[in-house]
This record gives sequence, structure tokens and C-alpha cells, in this order.
Amino acid sequence: MRCERFERQLWAYVEGQLLLGQAQALEAHLQACPHCQRQLEVVRATYHALRALPRRRAPENLTAQVRRRIAKTPARPTRDWARVWRRVALAPALGLLAAAAWWGWHAQHLAPSPNTVAADPTESFVELHEQLELADWSPSPTPSYFISTGYTR
Amino acid sequence: MDTLSVEARLVERAKAQDETAFEQIMNLYADRLYNYILRMVDNAADAEDLVQETFLRAYQGLPTFDGRASLSTWLYRIATNLCIDHQRRRARRVPTVSYALQEDEDGEPVEWEFPDLQTPNPLDTVLNRELETVVEEAIGNLSPKLKTVLLLYDVEELSYEEIARVLNIPIGTVKSRLNHARTQIQRHVAAYLNDAPKHAGTPSASEGMDDAMRAF
Repeated sequence: MRCERFERQLWAYVEGQLLLGQAQALEAHLQACPHCQRQLEVVRATYHALRALPRRRAPENLTAQVRRRIAKTPARPTRDWARVWRRVALAPALGLLAAAAWWGWHAQHLAPSPNTVAADPTESFVELHEQLELADWSPSPTPSYFISTGYTR
Repeated sequence: MDTLSVEARLVERAKAQDETAFEQIMNLYADRLYNYILRMVDNAADAEDLVQETFLRAYQGLPTFDGRASLSTWLYRIATNLCIDHQRRRARRVPTVSYALQEDEDGEPVEWEFPDLQTPNPLDTVLNRELETVVEEAIGNLSPKLKTVLLLYDVEELSYEEIARVLNIPIGTVKSRLNHARTQIQRHVAAYLNDAPKHAGTPSASEGMDDAMRAF
């Protein structure tokens, strides 16, 4: 049980990442524990072997090949600001259009009469808002609706 | 001037369509990426193709590279994603073999380059060549997730933070995967050093181990 705790610290010890107190405790344990000494040697050997693995040079013609492939592909995409602007502008433009149509329709249908609209635009908006609040937006479906669609609550 | 600012200048020049700057970037990273990819995919021809693809994608992605990640993090991320895609495709096709056993196009065994260390390499012995083979094979047996983290940390020597950015995972996950990967590699090394597979630390195994350690 005690060894397990120290074994978990062996990699950090080899990498020099243990705090001084932890390292001292581990070293004290190592002096008395042949099993952990062997584990330390395994970790040390693995650590160094990983860092000393043979490395190959990249193929000599690598960069030339990449250049060739770059030449074959279409020109590097640069940001087409006109296109980006069209995309960015489209959504709010459509939104504004819809809002204007909606407002126009409701102003025409729900305002009691043009005379009641106050001269102050703020007041007219408040009035319009109240009218919209009071409007019956979602009438309950009639029984025939349930029958015709088969919809049940 | 530190590496980062040199790289940042190279990236700026490459973004401004300076082809020599992109060439320099390729020269800086060709060996590192090639070795990383080679160990990821275990096949020299595939590795060559994938490292080319990595640079091609990097070139095409330069306009959107904003420099928040370092150049190396960005390149390793592209390479890792390509390797993982490649492994997924290959998993549906053929079983893999270790690239350590491969031959080049002339049928000759592949030639390895060893790091040119200033001090004599204590591992450069017959015993340690064997150990390298054991480690290479153990790496080849890791799952892609564990292999990626182990290669990036213990072979390519990226930091936990860099790997977390490369793979877009928390640092805790990086550490946990690394721990699992190392445990597996360590088990193979222990078995090799003990010359009696499986039970490291058993009395019968420890004698062989001691001999190996003395030789080491």
C-alpha cells in the first residue's frame, strides 16, 4: 500500500517535478525498498529511452512536393469582404423587413382609429403595445380542429 | 530574439504571401512533424503524404491563423487531426505493422538517425537498441488517444498546456492519458529488463533485472 503511493510519484521524481519534501520522503523510502528501487530504474530507463528514440529526417523532396501541391490547388483563399458583408447584412436586413411588415400590418388592423394615435411617438408605441397585449393572439382550437387533425391534448 | 517572435515574424511574412517564409516554416518543422506522424501511423509512405498534407492545410489556413496558439501547437493540431482521420480510415481496411520493421522502396532496412548529443549517449549500446525496439513496439500497441499524448509529451516534449491546446482537452485529461500510456510502456520495459515477462519485482525476475541494470 505504501509502495503504491511512492510508485505513483516515480515519473514526477525522474522529471524533477516533486516538491522537496515529497522527493525526500520518496528517497527515504527508496533506501529501504528494493522493489521501488527497481521500479525507479524501469521508469528512468523508459523515460530516457522515449527521449532518445531514433529520429529520421523528413524526405528530402518534402518541401518541393508541398510547393507542387500548393501550385495545383486554387489560389490561397483570401477573405472576400464583399461576400462576408453580404452574408452578415442579409440576416438583420430580412429581420428589419419582417419587423416593418409586421408593425405595419398590426398598426393597420389593431389601432382603433388613426385619431387615437397620439402625436407623441412614445405614447403611440405604448398604446400600440397595450393593444398588442390585449389582442387575442392564440384562440383555442375549435372542436372541429381536433376532429379534423386527430390531435388530442 | 526568441523562438516565438521569430516564428511570429515568419507567420506574418507567410501571410503576406512571402513564399520563402512558408518554406522556412516547413524546414523548421519538417523533421519534427515527420517523426511524430511516422510514429502515429506506423507507415513511411503514409507519413510522407500526411506531413505534406499538414503543410498544405497550414498554408491554406494561414489567413485564419490568428497567432493565439503558437505555430507549433497549430501545426501539431493539424497533424494530429489528419493522423486520427487516417487511422479511422485505415482501421476499416488493414491491420497495422510496426514501422520499425519496415523497409524502404529498395528493400533495404530503414536507416535511423540518432540525436546528435554533445555528451556520449549512454543508451547507445546493443542493450539500449533493444530497449528502443521494445519501446517502439509498446508505443505501437497504444490506443490512438494514449499514443498521441505520450508522443507529444515524452517524445516531442510539448508541455501539458500545449498538448491540451493541440487536442482541445483539459490539462487533467492530458495528465491522466499520459499516466495510462506510461504505465503500459513501463510494463513492457519492465518485462524486457526483467527478462521474465509480466511480474516485475518478483524475486525470480529481479535477478535478471539486476543484471540488465548493471549492463545499463
